[in-house]
Amino acid sequence: MSKIQLQKIDEYRWLIPRTYKPGMRTDAVIYASERLLQSIRQDQSLEQAANVAMLPGIVGRALAMPDIHQGYGFPIGGVAAVDDENGVVSPGGVGFDINCGVRLLGSTLTVKDVKPKLRDLVHQLFRDIPSGTGQSSRLKLSDTDLNSVLEEGPRWAIEHDMGSESDLDHTEERGCMAGADAYAVSERAKQRGRGQLGTLGSGNHFLEVQFVDEVFAEQTAAQYNLEKNRIVVLIHTGSRGLGHQVCTDYVSQLDLAMRKYDLQVPDRQLACAPVHSPEGQRYLHAMAAAANFAWTNRQCIAHATRGAFKRVFGNSANLSVIYDVAHNIAKRELHIVDGRQRRVVVHRKGATRAFPDQPVFIPGSMGTASYFLMGQEGAMRETFGSACHGAGRVMSRSAAKKGVTAKEIQKELESRGIIVESLTREGLTEEKPEAYKDIESVVDVVHNAGLAARVARLRPIGVIKG
Amino acid sequence: MRLGFKLLEHTSDIGILAHGETREQALIGASEGLVSILVESPEAIRNVEERHFKASGRDEAEQIVNWLNELVFYFDTEGLVFWGFSIDSWTSEEIIGRATGERFDLYRHELRTAVKAITYHQFESHPTPTGWEIRVFVDV
Repeated sequence: MSKIQLQKIDEYRWLIPRTYKPGMRTDAVIYASERLLQSIRQDQSLEQAANVAMLPGIVGRALAMPDIHQGYGFPIGGVAAVDDENGVVSPGGVGFDINCGVRLLGSTLTVKDVKPKLRDLVHQLFRDIPSGTGQSSRLKLSDTDLNSVLEEGPRWAIEHDMGSESDLDHTEERGCMAGADAYAVSERAKQRGRGQLGTLGSGNHFLEVQFVDEVFAEQTAAQYNLEKNRIVVLIHTGSRGLGHQVCTDYVSQLDLAMRKYDLQVPDRQLACAPVHSPEGQRYLHAMAAAANFAWTNRQCIAHATRGAFKRVFGNSANLSVIYDVAHNIAKRELHIVDGRQRRVVVHRKGATRAFPDQPVFIPGSMGTASYFLMGQEGAMRETFGSACHGAGRVMSRSAAKKGVTAKEIQKELESRGIIVESLTREGLTEEKPEAYKDIESVVDVVHNAGLAARVARLRPIGVIKG
Repeated sequence: MRLGFKLLEHTSDIGILAHGETREQALIGASEGLVSILVESPEAIRNVEERHFKASGRDEAEQIVNWLNELVFYFDTEGLVFWGFSIDSWTSEEIIGRATGERFDLYRHELRTAVKAITYHQFESHPTPTGWEIRVFVDV
């Protein structure tokens, strides 16, 4: 239980002043309601937000989104920008699952079209999209293929007939981050990723068939063909073992580099190096390559999803990419800080970019609603163009499993019209809706704080999980 | 003290608290703890394949983290799960040892959850009055 004294700024903003503990270079601001703060206080995430404020070269404030919970080094739901010239980059500020993110696919179908064949659809999706235990990918990549994925991203998939050019138009960075270098990715990381492209993974990763349940901003929703009852598909996964290994490799390398550059951080998991040091640059090259792998992973899964829809509904079932955005990434961006434009490296760990007029997706827990929002100017002024990424866990996995079986959860969801297929029992019990914060209250905060505006609420009818 | 481990949990974290009469036994306990996060009923894993582990590191923490990362690596790359561990040598630079197990088979094993990585979060490795204790958290 955290006893940090927070200073209330307003209903949705709370301050940890830099005087809270020695070493803090700036204040930390938590975006949360009073009610959400109660659960946030249950773990060490506020302390971790204060630790982030100690990063050398941090500019503005260390930030925490309403879905903040305890992570490793950085809290999950943390945002920190560092000066591009004098700051440090930290793999822990991105996380192990580099470019874990979400892709939303729009469709030509309505809930009425899908409901009669829903069970077949979910089953087909479960068959066609491997969850990815060990090396279960159906794609066999040569060394050249893998290097192309790492340096070109989803363009590789499109050149292999898994999507179209327009998919890239609706993907952050067009799925290809500048500076990606396959040679900065270790052989070990490549070995882990080689057999995992096009796989979902376990834990909180999922694919959901959803329908538009409520529209809050008619005009914006119409631009994306999101009228009520329209079917969409939300894909939530990341860079799989490849990205996990890149983070592991560079936490170790930067831990060593900290001695060379005489840097100190309060937690080894926050290991960092100057952005422009050879070590920092090499991490950024490898991270960009892992991010490209993740975008390609979601591209391949989207391709398999299109195939499953066509098998069940025929060739008229078309799915188009609405947008694809990273939730775990470090990016060089221009932002106004203290009245002047500065180039910074924004670490988003469990946070989404939320630039004005950019779609923002906030998935809820399994079986509950997800939200489609649009980034707002407020995010540019306050959070380096960032908003929250999900509901945020409140219950440990063993607590979630207590007194409930996977079958019971499956049955309960079915009684609400949601068909679920999961490779593991844990995928159901540990991820049950009550294990997470209430998505509505998380979305309320970012909407009311002016970081991202509600456009539509999406409810699941089909879920596949690892 | 009996060789063994218990799992620690707090919201999104899963940790392993392992004990042993020696540091080596505590590491074997931590290895078994990690396998128990990956699969249900790990004691049913057959010892049919052996892999040699070499975990180097600048300090004990890095060596232990790297040793446990070997388990994650073999699961991701070869689908191997292990249940028998032995440590041949542990110097100031590296741990050398072996693990025996078999390929994960969905028909005979049940996956619990995949592990992304081993972390330094709240890491501990120290002697106790009865032996040795290692605490390590993993990202799942």
